[in-house]
Amino acid sequence: MLLICGTAPRKDLPLTEGEAILQGDTLRIGGAEIPCTQGTAALVSAAGATLAFLRQPAPRTLLVGDDGSGKGSRLLYEHLIGNLPRIAPQVVVLHYMLPVMGLMRKVSESASKAKKRPFMIADAAAMYAAKAAGIARKFDLFTPDLSELAFLADPQATHPAYVSRHLFESDSSRIPELVAAAYAHGSAARTLVVKGSTDHIAQDGRIVERLAEPNIPALEAIGGTGDTISGMVGALVSAGFDAVTAARIAIRANRTAGLYAAATPATRIWQVIEALPRVFAEHLDEWVRQAGSTKDERKAS
Amino acid sequence: MFFKSEKNNGFEGGGLVLFESVEGALSGERALKAEGIENRLVAPPPELRRGCDLALEINLVEKPAVERMLGSRQVHFIDILPTRGGTELLQVVQVTDFGEAVMVKAGNMKLTFDKVSGVVLNISGGGCPDIPYLHAEMLAKPLDRAPRPREMGHTLCSLMLDRAYVQSLEIWKNGGR
Repeated sequence: MLLICGTAPRKDLPLTEGEAILQGDTLRIGGAEIPCTQGTAALVSAAGATLAFLRQPAPRTLLVGDDGSGKGSRLLYEHLIGNLPRIAPQVVVLHYMLPVMGLMRKVSESASKAKKRPFMIADAAAMYAAKAAGIARKFDLFTPDLSELAFLADPQATHPAYVSRHLFESDSSRIPELVAAAYAHGSAARTLVVKGSTDHIAQDGRIVERLAEPNIPALEAIGGTGDTISGMVGALVSAGFDAVTAARIAIRANRTAGLYAAATPATRIWQVIEALPRVFAEHLDEWVRQAGSTKDERKAS
Repeated sequence: MFFKSEKNNGFEGGGLVLFESVEGALSGERALKAEGIENRLVAPPPELRRGCDLALEINLVEKPAVERMLGSRQVHFIDILPTRGGTELLQVVQVTDFGEAVMVKAGNMKLTFDKVSGVVLNISGGGCPDIPYLHAEMLAKPLDRAPRPREMGHTLCSLMLDRAYVQSLEIWKNGGR
């Protein structure tokens, strides 16, 4: 089971658990309606679309309203600390929540108390908290963009707003160097999915894949296009794909959905997500076959 | 250990509010506690010490909320600094021209607006919970009528979004250049 945890842009939403369904531009969960904009709503929607296509159970979602004050985030942390071993998910995605180092450490400790520690994915501020708390290595997968990769590569920074200027100004040609630094400082999860004009997948300190096609520059401007990748990766791992294959498929699906949605800087994320079923119907089998042959080639070499 | 805790309750925030006087620090503690903002009184390390020997440790991410709260209660402070690493917030702003739209990136935040109307088309990046909230509040509004991130946001991500917003407003007023 895939468990997705994050906040929603509503002050009045209590901690809400259930299956979420995307209808047009609105995500419905437990009787609540949440706009499908940038953030956890986009992540949940993309994960739901992926699992629906694979005929797998919908993701279990833990959402709480938080306008940034952190009150909802703290409820979410406390719930996870108290209940993760009982929920016993296969995969957990931690997403938009106020980064609180001490609480994130306790969430990770709680995950370890489950019969089998879940596959732990962190994106957005959950990733900031894990790195700042010094527990990045306990996570299985992070999904930073280039500025967040610079943050992971800076051993002192506790938030991307305080990254060293020389690291922040790195262009994409320095991604291998930043990836190496993030692993060397113990600030990377086992797998990194670095989102950018060329997406990079790294595992155990080594870049194993670069993907740049189809090239849709407008995707960078659309709020939520990183969240959709994290959601799809979580869904694909929970469906049984290994981390690198899941990342490769998610990246390709995201780019192709941007193409099918004819993305412009004004496109909304729900319009990109709406294109996912067609993307999977037309390409998933081929991508899975290619992943199998790539694995075989690796084994042979 | 970075600095001695006066009251170690396990809180670890990474940010330090420096005060001129002990009275100021105590007032700050009371003001933040009243608003539910986690903090603790600490002795600042020598390399960061300015003013008095007492400081407040806060969650650095909440710097904008703390500044606003202390300001509204007339609690004077010297500065808010990270307890480790560089003390300067990122100042770098990068601009991408999409033809009819411009994307301004500040730190980990990006704001995209229509060159002619100034309407906010998209906000991307960031990870703190006020960003989806600000996204919903600012989207589809002209820059000069959209709420300012610094006034509504609580976190460092909102501070970076505010930088992008200020730069976007300036670019738009200069005809999108």
